[in-house]
Amino acid sequence: MPSILSSKPFTQAPIPEPPKVITTKDLSYLKDALSWELIAFKKLHAFAQQATDPQVKQCLEQQGQMHQRHYQKLLSHLQNNNTAVMATIPQTQSQQQQSQPQHQMQ
Amino acid sequence: MPNQNQIANPQSGQLPQVKGPQMNDRDYLNDCLATCKYLTDNFNIAVREASHQQLYDDMVQILNETHQSARDAFNLMFQKGWYKLEAAEQQQLQQAYQQFSGYSTQFPYH
Repeated sequence: MPSILSSKPFTQAPIPEPPKVITTKDLSYLKDALSWELIAFKKLHAFAQQATDPQVKQCLEQQGQMHQRHYQKLLSHLQNNNTAVMATIPQTQSQQQQSQPQHQMQ
Repeated sequence: MPNQNQIANPQSGQLPQVKGPQMNDRDYLNDCLATCKYLTDNFNIAVREASHQQLYDDMVQILNETHQSARDAFNLMFQKGWYKLEAAEQQQLQQAYQQFSGYSTQFPYH
């Protein structure tokens, strides 16, 4: 087993870069960020309606629209097909090692 | 006598003469700026923790645009005279220069 591991150079890692998967950590940050953006553009739109100065009104409205655009961009990451991407990921050494003791016990 | 070091526009925004508990235009912009500051702080951490490249790229773009809009809000507040800046004393600038240029003996690169 160690000989197979050492014969593989670092450049030939089974998973060369993080796959296009939303991790549990990504999901937590995305949910947080979506909540921040939602309250931001709702508030800025309400402010823009109250503001009297046209320049201030325009600035608030533009920034509200920007936050709504950001919301849409973040939301699109929640439509990621994790199942499909995970099916293409090769089984790594550590996962194989984890599954072996279970077979031995049975 | 006006402060010689002050950098500010005359207050040109339409603010109420007598300020009450109600939010005015200056308050709205200030809150807008505060929101951008809050978002850039938090997005910076989210960017640093992002897993795959496309998520990272999108979050960096959102971070940059949010920084830019904080700047836009600040610039508008400055134009309206709602933001005062103060120039540092020339002598203090020179003192700091002397102090930090003296540290060149510590530089590893020449």
